[in-house]
Amino acid sequence: MAELTDASIPKFAAGCRWGGTTEAPVVLFPEGAIRVEGTGRIILELCDGHFTLAEIVQKLEEQFMLATQGKIRADVLTFLEQLHAKRIIDY
Amino acid sequence: MPNPLALIAEITHRCPLHCVYCSNPLQLTSRKEELETAEWLRIFSEAAALGVLHLHLTGGEPLARPDLAELITGARQSRLYTNLITSGIGLSRERLAQLVEVGLDHIQLSFQDSTEGHANWIAGARAHAHKVELAGWIREHQSDKHRIAFTTNLVVHRQNIDHLEAMIAALEGLRPDRMEIAHAQYYGWALQNRSALLPTRAQLDRAVAVVQAAEERLRGQVRIDMVVPDYHARFPKACMGGWGRQLMLIDPAGRVLPCHAAGVIPGMRFNNVREHGLDWIWQSSEAFQKFRGEEWMPEPCRSCDRRKEDFGGCRCQAFLLTGDASATDPVCELAPLHHLVEDAVREDAVIGTSPEVSGAPFHVLQEKMAGFWDYRTDPK
Repeated sequence: MAELTDASIPKFAAGCRWGGTTEAPVVLFPEGAIRVEGTGRIILELCDGHFTLAEIVQKLEEQFMLATQGKIRADVLTFLEQLHAKRIIDY
Repeated sequence: MPNPLALIAEITHRCPLHCVYCSNPLQLTSRKEELETAEWLRIFSEAAALGVLHLHLTGGEPLARPDLAELITGARQSRLYTNLITSGIGLSRERLAQLVEVGLDHIQLSFQDSTEGHANWIAGARAHAHKVELAGWIREHQSDKHRIAFTTNLVVHRQNIDHLEAMIAALEGLRPDRMEIAHAQYYGWALQNRSALLPTRAQLDRAVAVVQAAEERLRGQVRIDMVVPDYHARFPKACMGGWGRQLMLIDPAGRVLPCHAAGVIPGMRFNNVREHGLDWIWQSSEAFQKFRGEEWMPEPCRSCDRRKEDFGGCRCQAFLLTGDASATDPVCELAPLHHLVEDAVREDAVIGTSPEVSGAPFHVLQEKMAGFWDYRTDPK
């Protein structure tokens, strides 16, 4: 499995895209769809091919200032690695 | 009442292949009965309004419809995710580029075996070499602005299951995003040919180990999905996620069914999109309500803890094996008629030999294999 580093640029894998409605967005992929809300949605909106992992973590840290040092990075990493194993996110 | 999540559109039953496990019904729909372009586009729009997210364009061979690009364009305008399930026969490099351009999201390309002779023997057609070439063209659309997902699909049965390791290696070389390794499901043509197709327990156990090893090796690179053969399971599958709960299928003539096989159940009236709206058919038609919920269930299902997971198994399989569509799926070890499945699994394995097919016309192949299996034929 490819390693996710600070310099990686996570983005939607081939055949994966946003769907649903603005109020209830879903990520569509070949076998199904996942509803994403809250932080998950914020992370995936940043996976548009413009930001590195380090930049995504930094943006989230600015947004959630109370979080413990390092916790956000660990959570983002776990989230994106899970989606990578499902072939929804590439990096 | 849940919304349907996916629509399976069998846009034609015409197909240049003759696969012996085809999931189409034995009674195929002819070309002159097929829905027209505008009718399909209306259906896609109604389906999206009903909450459907995924559209699976299948057949027969969907490429046999010259209006396929129009259908994909219309489906995307209705905000549906579009998946093309195909043998690849009829797809040139130019036509592929056109389908990708109009918004095709995902292509699922079938393979029959690891070597050309064997694959063509199973398909009853010279198809394998073109599929390999097509896979290369599909990969060219992985780096464009329109990026299409690529899945290879292999239907597994007694005649190819021992080549699974070679098959996975060959498919890996085509660099798909996903591999679907689907054991044949015994309906339609596959049921007709079951004595030649059902794998033995020993074959299945080896195949499961092969797939697990491949999953480990390819993690993060190729996702592998395996559909196991329910005849060897202890409990039935939750067929289609339950009758009329998640999916609807529309046949080439516009009949709406809860699955591929339900047309075999006698006494059922499946409504047609030419006469009724999709919304009414899903919500209120008698056919879709028939096996929803638990009212119809016999014992042991009715008092079983598993009934909310497997919904009593598959209604079509219950009918095909027991003659009663309301019976407990005989795959279940708790079913009164479970011995029907046990007997089928115990039958002696017959490993066929593939005759030389290069250049042999289909009718010759058909004659040579008569008594071993029946090839799927094309609708009139």
